[in-house]
Amino acid sequence: MRHFRLLAALCAALSFFAAAPARADLNVVTTVPDLAALTKAVGGEHVQVQSLALSSQDPHFVDAKPNLALALNRADLLIAVGLDLEIGWLPTLQQGARNPKILVNNPGFLNASQFARILEIPQGKVDRSLGDVHPGGNPHYLYDPREALAVARGITDRLAQLDPKNAAAYKANLAKFTDELEKARAGWEQRLAGMKGAPVIAYHKTTAYLADWLGFDSIAFLEPKPGIPPNPSHVASVLAQARQQKARMVLIESYYPDTTAKLVASKIPAPLVIIHGGTDFRAGETYIQHIDELVGRLEKALAGKGN
Amino acid sequence: MSTVSRRPSDAFFVVSVVTLLSTASAAAQETSPPTQSPPPAADAGTPGAAEAPPAELSPEELEEIQKALGADTKSAQQNAPTGTSTAPQSSPQGNTLSVPGVTSSGTNFLDLSFILDVAGAAFSSKEPLQTGGHDPTKNGFNLQQLELSIGSVVDPYFRFDSNLVFSQFGVEIEEAYGTTLALPANLQVRAGQFLTKFGRLNPTHPHAWDFVDQPFAIGRVFGSEGNRGLGTEVSWLTPLPWYVELIGSATDATGEGTARSFLGASDERVLSPLDLQLTGVVKQFFPLSDNVSLMWGLSAATGPNASGYRNRTDVYGTDVYLRYRPITEASTTLITFQAEGFYRRRQVPGDVLTDFNAYAQAAWRFSQRWATAARYELGTPAKGEGGATVTDPLDPEWTKDRQRVSANVTFWPTEFSRLRLQGAMDRAGWRDSPDYSVFLALELVTGAHGAHAF
Repeated sequence: MRHFRLLAALCAALSFFAAAPARADLNVVTTVPDLAALTKAVGGEHVQVQSLALSSQDPHFVDAKPNLALALNRADLLIAVGLDLEIGWLPTLQQGARNPKILVNNPGFLNASQFARILEIPQGKVDRSLGDVHPGGNPHYLYDPREALAVARGITDRLAQLDPKNAAAYKANLAKFTDELEKARAGWEQRLAGMKGAPVIAYHKTTAYLADWLGFDSIAFLEPKPGIPPNPSHVASVLAQARQQKARMVLIESYYPDTTAKLVASKIPAPLVIIHGGTDFRAGETYIQHIDELVGRLEKALAGKGN
Repeated sequence: MSTVSRRPSDAFFVVSVVTLLSTASAAAQETSPPTQSPPPAADAGTPGAAEAPPAELSPEELEEIQKALGADTKSAQQNAPTGTSTAPQSSPQGNTLSVPGVTSSGTNFLDLSFILDVAGAAFSSKEPLQTGGHDPTKNGFNLQQLELSIGSVVDPYFRFDSNLVFSQFGVEIEEAYGTTLALPANLQVRAGQFLTKFGRLNPTHPHAWDFVDQPFAIGRVFGSEGNRGLGTEVSWLTPLPWYVELIGSATDATGEGTARSFLGASDERVLSPLDLQLTGVVKQFFPLSDNVSLMWGLSAATGPNASGYRNRTDVYGTDVYLRYRPITEASTTLITFQAEGFYRRRQVPGDVLTDFNAYAQAAWRFSQRWATAARYELGTPAKGEGGATVTDPLDPEWTKDRQRVSANVTFWPTEFSRLRLQGAMDRAGWRDSPDYSVFLALELVTGAHGAHAF
């Protein structure tokens, strides 16, 4: 009898979940929270968005947890950063998701890097003696609001293609987002005019796009090569370089260990800036708020205050 | 002995039910709501994907489309293309292959990678009791394996994966199978030669292991290579709100190194489905928090054994994997706990033998490049129906409990190379004194960057 009740409950639960109506027209899953924030900005209430990685996570190393495959199973669109950023984990999830829509080269898969101007494409022979290189170029383009805008346009086109009846709404949202972002960008550039030509130390090669946008000069990285942790002799040489060139600040993402960076910053001396690797989408942060927060931290550092 | 049943045992029914369930569920409803949008014109469309027809089209129009398609198919048959199929063109900018510099793979159709495992070893015993095919087995230097992995998408419907293992004595096709990409109803089929999904460790390769050698449980129950065979597997992702995957497979039950508790090295012919090894697995995943995950699996396998007419072997297993990895803050810590148990029941002439093998291990990655791990293993001798220890036809010397404790330290210069120092104490109850062993293993991975499974 008890078994029968259990079975009945299970069947009821099953039919409920199978028949649960979607709240939005499109179910979008992105690999990183920045892309989720951009998608939400242009999709508005017509899209339900989820990011696989958290902003506190290094997007190179995400565990391919089965519950993430479950999210992909129910997705209409998967948006990835591309350039091999997710190569260590996304393919596993795509295959486990059993959802042909989101496989590479189907309309439900969008590689956002095609919309960005890619920097640091390695020239000559590429092999792993260079460290963890990205043969297609540097994938951290979402730090540059100009690239983010291009990506938002690309996302809008794809949303409109998959969901034509809301195309007008997506385009209107994009226009509004473009306005806000461009206004904000003018303000940011004004506040950070002092970054032009400033020598900066960073932990990992994530600063290419920030530097391209703000005009500062990444003179050295604490990692001897991408993905290789700092070692004493290399850190010593970085410190010497930083002192010699009067580095203005040390930049590090919040997901990297910061003890070495703190030490180097105190020895230069220069302020340490811990930047969030992405938008805290889960807590409701928008892309513009994320960059604004980042700009605030850089501004403080220019004034000689670390955080 | 009337108690020795000549019928297929309970496990057979369990497995059949799981297999049937997962096949019958093809009719299960779609979990995702039908999209309201017409598929884009450029979409190649997957016949397998059950798309609800867009609301804007009338039934007559749909019928006209089907007619037109039918006519096109007919005329296409007269000038069918030969040669390679082309990938579907998804959308003007959607085809990543056509954007230079966006993918590193370009138009390279095969992902190739080589994995080399070599180890120096020292054993206190003249005859070490290593049961794994890739374990170091002798004093001095051992080539554990040179594994060539080749994987690729075949077309919109299949993906191909293979692992060829080179040893000093030849080449072995460890795995070579196709996986469907576009079946409806959350189904996925694998066909070819593959490692069965029994338990957690069996379907994986040494590259993914936390230890230099394989737990003896797998070598004793399934064989030195782990349980694999030619066959087919159906798996179904249930529409439940948490991750529940049902897997059923039918594989060839022969091979001393791959199915030793079943037909093993004997040359039995397959006369009915009962002569195949049937495996059923339920995998469940629970994200307990952002930082803690739990994976729990139940497995059962049944197949004929070579000890006599219609004698069968059943293996029941459970596996637990607990993973702690902080992702809400900067941390390189990773702590995993993994345990598996295998309960084996074999019909032999005049008796039914049962034994239990298990291992439990914990690994702690305490910095970006360093980890340490410890493992405990247990294997009981075979007991007959009366509960008394009897001679195990496969391992006649295994008359008492065997316990082994191993501990290691691992250093990864990068994620593509690994050095591992491991020591073990092996207490085989039938030997007078414990055996000791030390390994120093090197692994190098070169070629395409493989994606890591969970």
